[in-house]
Amino acid sequence: MCELYSKQDTLALRRKHIGPSCKVLYAADPIKIVRAQRQYMFDEKGERYLDCINNVAHVGHCHPEVVKAALKQMEVLNTNSRFLHDNIVEYAKRLAATLPEQLSVCYFTNSGAYHGHLSSLIEISPYKFRKGKDVKKEFVHVAPAPDIYRGKYRENHADPASAYADEVKKIIEEAQNRGRKIAAFIAESMQSCGGQIIPPAGYFQKVAEYVRGVGGVVIADEVQVGFGRVGKHFWSFQMHGKDFVPDIVTMGKPMGNGHPMACVVTTKEIAEAFSSSGMEYFNTYGGNPVSSAVGLAVLDVIENEDLQGNATRVGTYLTELLNRQKAKHTLIGDVRGVGLFVGIDLVKDRQKRTPATAEAQHVIYKMKENRVLLSADGPHRNVLKIKPPMCFTEEDAKFMVDQLDGVLTVLEEAIGAQTESVVPENTPCRTKGGPQERFGLETLGEEVKQKSLCS
Amino acid sequence: MLGEGDSKTEPKAPGGRRTGGRGPERLGRRAGQRRRGEHDAAPRADFRGRRVPSARQAGAGPGRSARFSAPWRPTGAERPRRWPCGGGCSVGHCHPLVVQAAHEQNQVLNTNSRYLHDNIVDYAQRLSETLPEKLCVFYFLNSGSEANDLALRLARQYTGHWDVVVLDHAYHGHLSSLIDISPYKFRGLDGQKEWVHVAPLPDTYRGPYREDHPNPAVAYASEVKRVVSSVQEKGRKIAAFFAESLPSVGGQIIPPAGYFPEVAEHVRRAGGVFVADEIQVGFGRVGKHFWAFQLQGEDFVPDIVTMGKSIGNGHPVACVATTQAVARAFEATGVEYFNTFGGSPVSCAVGLAVLDVLEKEQLQAHAACVGSFLMELLGQQKAKHPIIGDIRGVGLFVGVDLIKDKATRTPATEEADYLVSRLKENYILLSTDGPGRNVLKFKPPMCFSLDNAQHVVAKLDAILTDMEEKMRSCETLRLQPEAALLSPPLGECALLLVLGDPELGSLPSAVAPSFQTFCL
Repeated sequence: MCELYSKQDTLALRRKHIGPSCKVLYAADPIKIVRAQRQYMFDEKGERYLDCINNVAHVGHCHPEVVKAALKQMEVLNTNSRFLHDNIVEYAKRLAATLPEQLSVCYFTNSGAYHGHLSSLIEISPYKFRKGKDVKKEFVHVAPAPDIYRGKYRENHADPASAYADEVKKIIEEAQNRGRKIAAFIAESMQSCGGQIIPPAGYFQKVAEYVRGVGGVVIADEVQVGFGRVGKHFWSFQMHGKDFVPDIVTMGKPMGNGHPMACVVTTKEIAEAFSSSGMEYFNTYGGNPVSSAVGLAVLDVIENEDLQGNATRVGTYLTELLNRQKAKHTLIGDVRGVGLFVGIDLVKDRQKRTPATAEAQHVIYKMKENRVLLSADGPHRNVLKIKPPMCFTEEDAKFMVDQLDGVLTVLEEAIGAQTESVVPENTPCRTKGGPQERFGLETLGEEVKQKSLCS
Repeated sequence: MLGEGDSKTEPKAPGGRRTGGRGPERLGRRAGQRRRGEHDAAPRADFRGRRVPSARQAGAGPGRSARFSAPWRPTGAERPRRWPCGGGCSVGHCHPLVVQAAHEQNQVLNTNSRYLHDNIVDYAQRLSETLPEKLCVFYFLNSGSEANDLALRLARQYTGHWDVVVLDHAYHGHLSSLIDISPYKFRGLDGQKEWVHVAPLPDTYRGPYREDHPNPAVAYASEVKRVVSSVQEKGRKIAAFFAESLPSVGGQIIPPAGYFPEVAEHVRRAGGVFVADEIQVGFGRVGKHFWAFQLQGEDFVPDIVTMGKSIGNGHPVACVATTQAVARAFEATGVEYFNTFGGSPVSCAVGLAVLDVLEKEQLQAHAACVGSFLMELLGQQKAKHPIIGDIRGVGLFVGVDLIKDKATRTPATEEADYLVSRLKENYILLSTDGPGRNVLKFKPPMCFSLDNAQHVVAKLDAILTDMEEKMRSCETLRLQPEAALLSPPLGECALLLVLGDPELGSLPSAVAPSFQTFCL
């Protein structure tokens, strides 16, 4: 494999010229990726890694159909959307066809919005403003994540959907009592940085009712999870029922298989209200012919290769394998997911559900050694998140789980945990044996850094 | 009459751009391309003029035949078109070398910057060589708006301050945070926020200090000083002064030399930083330099520079360059900065290809040459057509300020609009800007030729001549007694005539029926 610089030099140049806030994965031992195809990435030595992270390469890294579509259009025209062009309208039409009827107006941009890295979006991203020195702004109101594993209302609650929705209602009322008015409720249809959270059925419907009741709108952030990843539906908000239709849907990441694109789709009413400000909305690159051609090619591939069906089949198989692992390894507190969006919540103690943060980092590094790329997220960075390219196969799932089994077995032996079967799924989890010793990383001689990796 | 440069070599095809994984035979080396480890040794363009192709040619004017390799030319049915408004196709639409670089990289790897990769570091290094030494840390993003938003965050984090000083009529982007610092936008929307402070645009044609002022740079900079002082009196603190190096939306403004250094002094003394927005104008457009801020003096170095549009020839790329100090302060927040697509191998390959083309085709020198020629031709038109109040520009960034009246310099808004539609009928794409929407703005792809310049100006001349003839005939009609009662001042006559031009279709109902008889 031909490189311009040795890995050492690449790293040195990166330290010299790239903003230090821009982190690399596996900071203690970064990897240099020079090539990728489908769900595999290759380093400078030609070593192949199974990619369980990159939902952006939605239809598979460097998919030839998408590459071809981009080339074909790049050779002909790539300019802005102030001229009429067929690609943008065709793409808007195809996208609208995947959505409920009222979501029919598209705005094309270049990147998605945790809800994002922009100033305005950090203000509405607790994930970001809690970490930094930014404080919560007074116009931002934070509702508890509807996490039935670790949140306030858990799987043994009679109606967690209503309980969590009532929290939103309470917040709305508090805001109103202070004389404030709600413009919007924004949420990822399935929270990724929040730890691969799948809100309980019925939650969004109730929230929508409360929010709309006070004149606000509901924004579903599908940037991580749209385009068939959940298998059964094209959009993950659709999992919540036909009666739930957001007012605004944002999409990004997977749209262009790596090409910078994003989109906001909304109703005619909202679009008209926006245009009545009289101010033009212009985005230099958004909706350009190449991006639109790429977007169309991605939609074609999803359809032609039945990637949604694949996500259901492989996702189900993967979850099944992982649940067997959960029965075997006490480190696994919860396995949750739908389609190819899966999270493995690692805990030190099943009863207390104490997040196993350091263990998660260790697992990630060990999995890398075993040639599987995984990342961790959640507020405690203890949830292994799996959202691979949609061409992920059952063989890949088996391989990944086998490696994980091996890593967890060694890890549990090292910390003295028992790898034995626990009682079935639907009874409350209890710890077997005595309390787990605190896992000491120093004993394994690893240097790991805790970092959040929301990708 | 100038001809094209007579060095007609076609640009050489590159051997492939850092694709990796293809074997040595595919990663062909072009002349001057670095080999492994030679990244510090090989000369590149730098801001001091060494190795920059344009350095000696920067002053090339119409009287000298500039030798440069012919830029890529469209063939066949493709017509040369000027792209008026920041379409970002700087080296020419669909430039084959850029397309090839993108395609080759697309086939190999396009993922995020959390993995090590050569393209991003190579690109950062190449960019750093075009900039003053202390601007050596880069953040890659996808759009100019994202870049300016990050610049704002960087400034605030570094200074610990919040407020921003901007120029009147500025436009820095369409994100919420940037609408707040863009008078061009916020005046029509939510209004000015209390942390935003507006200084007068340093417009020596229409601003408070004009071409007859002894030192407009200092005068305008003093306005900024005044703004900064009044901010401080209110107990507020300046994080940044944000300015487009050449305000475009404000009307193709060329700030007087010396203005930025003076402003920087005032702002830095108050604890703020200077952000130069090069999104519209960077990458050799101004001809004489690679970056427009360099027009302000060799010693002038902004704290943060934002780039976009032309950087990727249409591919969504943007960048923020800053100092180590600013970057470290940002890192100290402890919050990671991650941009999913920014700095991807394909975007960097595209950026590198654009730099290569700029260099190989000597487009910076070309911009200087064609720009000077264009200005000269336009100057001749100005002498001929009273509607042209001012011609201003540098390189291929030119504005033609259309006025109704020489003394008052009233913007000829409707005339400008009409002119643009007539030019479109003549297959020339141009648009207008400025608060009066009366400045024809030229920011074409950098391969814009001398012939193109001649063609456009010839058309402009013809249309303006035609417009003036119609106005004269209107004057003649005004000698009629009935017409005398109806006749408006000359400027307004032109307005009604323009609106009533049969080529535009039916007349607006506001036009008096009797006037229709005169003008049709």
